[in-house]
Amino acid sequence: MTAQSSNFGSTVWQMTLMGLRYLNGRRLRTALTTVAIVFGVAMIFAINLALPSMQEAFQQTITSFTGADLSVTSVSGESFPPAAVLEQISSVDQVKAVTGILHRQFSLPTLGESSLGDTTQIDLVGVDPASMENVHQFVISDGRFLEPGDSGKAVLPAGIAELAPQLGVGTTFPLITAGGLKFYTVVGLLAEQGDLAAPEIYVSLADAQAAFNQPGLINTVEVLLEPGANREAAAADIQQAVGAGFTLDQGSNDSNTLAAMQVGFAMFDVLGMLALFLGAFLIFNTFRTVVVERRHDLGMLRAVGATRRQITLLIVIESLIQGLIGTAIGLLIGYLMAQGMISVINVYATDFFHRGSLSLQFSLSGLLGAAAIGLATALIAGYWPARAAGKTAPLEALRPATPANIQRAARWSLIVGIGIMLLAVLLLLTGNQGAAGGAVLFLMGMVVTAPALVIPVARLISPLLSFGFAREGDIARSNLVRQPGRAAITASTLMIGLATLVMIAAMVLSFASLINSLADVNFSSDLILLPQSIAVYDNVIGADENLANRVRALPEVQDVGTMRYASAATADGQALQVMGIDPNEYSKVASFTVNEGSPDAAFAALGSGRNALFTAIALSTVGLKVGDDFMLQTAEGPQTYHVAGIANDLFTFKIAAIFISQTNLAADFHKTEDIMLMINLAPDADKQAALVDIQTILTDYPQFTAHLTGEYRDELANVTSGALILMYGLAFLILIPAALGLLNTLTINVLERTREIGVVRAVGGSRTQVRRVVTAEALLLGIFGAAMGVLAGVAMSYGFIAAFGTVGWEMPYFFPVAGIIAAVIVGVLLALFAAVLPARNAARLDIIRALQYE
Amino acid sequence: MSIVHTESLTKVYGDVSQPIPAVRDVNLTVEEGEFLAIMGPSGSGKSTLLYMLGGLDKPTSGKVWLRDSELSALNDDALSRMRRTEFGFVFQFFNLIPVLTAQENVAIPLILDGVPRARALKQADDALARVGLADRTMHRPTELSGGQQQRVALARALVTTPAVILADEPTGNLDSRSSDDVVQMLRRAVDEWKQTLVLVTHDSRVAAFADRIIFLKDGKIVDDNRLKGRGNADQIREQLSKMVLS
Repeated sequence: MTAQSSNFGSTVWQMTLMGLRYLNGRRLRTALTTVAIVFGVAMIFAINLALPSMQEAFQQTITSFTGADLSVTSVSGESFPPAAVLEQISSVDQVKAVTGILHRQFSLPTLGESSLGDTTQIDLVGVDPASMENVHQFVISDGRFLEPGDSGKAVLPAGIAELAPQLGVGTTFPLITAGGLKFYTVVGLLAEQGDLAAPEIYVSLADAQAAFNQPGLINTVEVLLEPGANREAAAADIQQAVGAGFTLDQGSNDSNTLAAMQVGFAMFDVLGMLALFLGAFLIFNTFRTVVVERRHDLGMLRAVGATRRQITLLIVIESLIQGLIGTAIGLLIGYLMAQGMISVINVYATDFFHRGSLSLQFSLSGLLGAAAIGLATALIAGYWPARAAGKTAPLEALRPATPANIQRAARWSLIVGIGIMLLAVLLLLTGNQGAAGGAVLFLMGMVVTAPALVIPVARLISPLLSFGFAREGDIARSNLVRQPGRAAITASTLMIGLATLVMIAAMVLSFASLINSLADVNFSSDLILLPQSIAVYDNVIGADENLANRVRALPEVQDVGTMRYASAATADGQALQVMGIDPNEYSKVASFTVNEGSPDAAFAALGSGRNALFTAIALSTVGLKVGDDFMLQTAEGPQTYHVAGIANDLFTFKIAAIFISQTNLAADFHKTEDIMLMINLAPDADKQAALVDIQTILTDYPQFTAHLTGEYRDELANVTSGALILMYGLAFLILIPAALGLLNTLTINVLERTREIGVVRAVGGSRTQVRRVVTAEALLLGIFGAAMGVLAGVAMSYGFIAAFGTVGWEMPYFFPVAGIIAAVIVGVLLALFAAVLPARNAARLDIIRALQYE
Repeated sequence: MSIVHTESLTKVYGDVSQPIPAVRDVNLTVEEGEFLAIMGPSGSGKSTLLYMLGGLDKPTSGKVWLRDSELSALNDDALSRMRRTEFGFVFQFFNLIPVLTAQENVAIPLILDGVPRARALKQADDALARVGLADRTMHRPTELSGGQQQRVALARALVTTPAVILADEPTGNLDSRSSDDVVQMLRRAVDEWKQTLVLVTHDSRVAAFADRIIFLKDGKIVDDNRLKGRGNADQIREQLSKMVLS
């Protein structure tokens, strides 16, 4: 038993030593092969580290302001009338005291010199001082806490002094409210420091209700239990008392922002996986070469008694060593990358996310996951060549490879590859979700077919080279077709990179067109008033009807349409953003894109009953279809709404949102706050003069900014194209491992032919000629890879755009001509670039030593 | 006592339409402790015969026995075990693993057989001392001369005390002085260490060291000579050239 295990250990140890020495003997190749693993592992590890750290920070929202035992909010997140709920909760056994609160966290407009100093976001908390006293006693360091009957008074946390040093008891400061700018007098400072990312400012409940234009409503009930009460039992009883429309201890969090970030990070994860995929190709390619190169060594080992399994083990151990090295370095770099991401985000954290500084949370599972993926990649990629090595008969290994094998493999790959591609095309033509699968399958089919294509394609494109490489083109071609498998894998690596580029180019075109057509419906007015942030409305404070009325009263103004907002949830807890419009007014200043019928019909539908228009995303998330009735959790309890149609606009097309009438929004969600205003002017009005007039009104509502709609649209288009350029950046990142693959193959080709190059030089070939042969070889590979990349890229972009259509983003497909040209140019340049070093090495070979090279 | 024997051993390359026979109907018995040289012109099938004797190549028909084991009845794993315990090989080219030291190269069959590394390396040192390379154990093959490399290969063949050592043109790549060293070492392996040796060569000076010489032509044994004492190289050479011309 012991002998058995020590025996095996001895063999493995010897294999490991051999592997290390082989790898050490080819350091450049080892490094090149390992890089893609490093890249992939680093990417995945960084994301796995950074994302949970951010998630945690985003979920660190306050569940209780007062340190009360429990807090109760509505499922929709919206406000509700307090009387019934407070009574229901008070009547529960073990409940000692309750108090109602109305609070909202919102961004402050950047007004330059603000009297809240460096504060960018606050949490305005309206409390009823009398009942609050029973639930929680605030400790005051200066002044007093709020008292019943207080109006225009505020209590601030002590930490506010760091942000706005001038504030003290007795001073006043202005604050944006739905009713315009209001002034508050500081009556007390709390002893506690407070959360400086979003300091809590306590005002009377009535003041908060006025600020949010929600008279008589609260959105949180805080509960104090009897001493020694059973918290779980009490919570269950309270839940029972208030019903399913309410939830306990659910602090609101920035689920929208977080979801958007997760999508962004998923992109990086995909990139990491693609890099590992390419890494697997590189390792596979290298080890296949290694097996051929080491035929004699392997044959010798077999001759002196190594079993097949032992030979396989040797190669597997070697690839595992590379995997270990790559993974270790990748983890290190990944950790540093995560740290970098976190510190970059910290720089912007306060401005964008209004959160305190994040710290990197080390995650063992993240580390193990990334490490496992890295090692598995190396293992899987190394296993096939290893098995092939094990299968070699001892004598076969001592003889040169026969061309017959290559031919057989090529025919096999042609049949299977074309089969896969046909299936892929069928999937693509279905035009539904399967199309994305078809896109990936097509790519796989190309990879499988590639070895069969090397010889004919090389023959086809080598005449192209006769212009610049009249003498060397043929030699280069014959060099390439000698190892079709290697050439195929190299071209496949390049293909994946270039296909990504073509795909991104096509998606950018389609996406830009989609954005453009959506922008048409949102930006048809003359002027637009925008809140602090668009698309994330939780952090916004809007205006009551006074603002719209004052704008309407201006002589230049003809029509004013407004947008309102509330949060809601479906019966099974799926969050929905509810946009409220007045169909009559809104249709004059803006519109929707509709999938069926006309926008007019959609507007007409909103005019009556509880009808809702869904964004396509919302419809597919919730799983409904047009004509269905569904239950919506509103501030007034569950209400049945009817899906009247599908409508998208620029602000909502990427989120799960529905449009309802402002009448319904007021009745079911108690929201009458305008968060966006669109204005049409009289035909002969002076736009600039109107803008100045409106800006004068907005001095009372600094949360809004006024824009000429056309100018704003152009600005937005610039930002969008900036973001789209970022996508190209990602495509170029993927090209890094592709370039390494090229460099790797060319290097191996030169190493393998060292003796041949020596002969060529000995019989009178010049250094230049040797260099040009290698360059021509690179060009052939580059053109081959680019051709495949273009084909695969077109298929992939078509598939993904079709798949996007089924989740609601119906985009026109544009043939990416520019992307294709770019891919071909990039492919050729990459090939030339990758050829520089190997070509120079080949040209510089010492003739005598090259002839002796083995 | 016979240690290896064959029965109608035949190897045919190529396909059915164009068969290229390499070894034809060879019946051969190798006696324990004998130094057998297989001679013959290029393409006479001598290397193929040797590979089949050592289980490296599979016969098209016929059988090979090592003592009581019939080689073609063994699966690959059993054959591999046989190669590392019962046979020792010395080749003309590519004889050593370049990334291993002389000591490790010699120890490889033992390590593959599961002998603990320390013990395997110790035995390798002993074997290297026997071939006069005690001071070269930690050298890589590239740091050794051709003759020294072949002596390392011989040490590797000796280290397992195999039933038979099979050598395929072991001096084919060496200058005459190194060649003499290696052949004398092979002779010692038989005389002092009681090994059985089958050697393929076309060099009559090498064959002259053997106890017995068989001549192969077109895959058939055409002559089988038992030499008394040291063979006569000139006589062998003459016989060989006659055969080539006939």
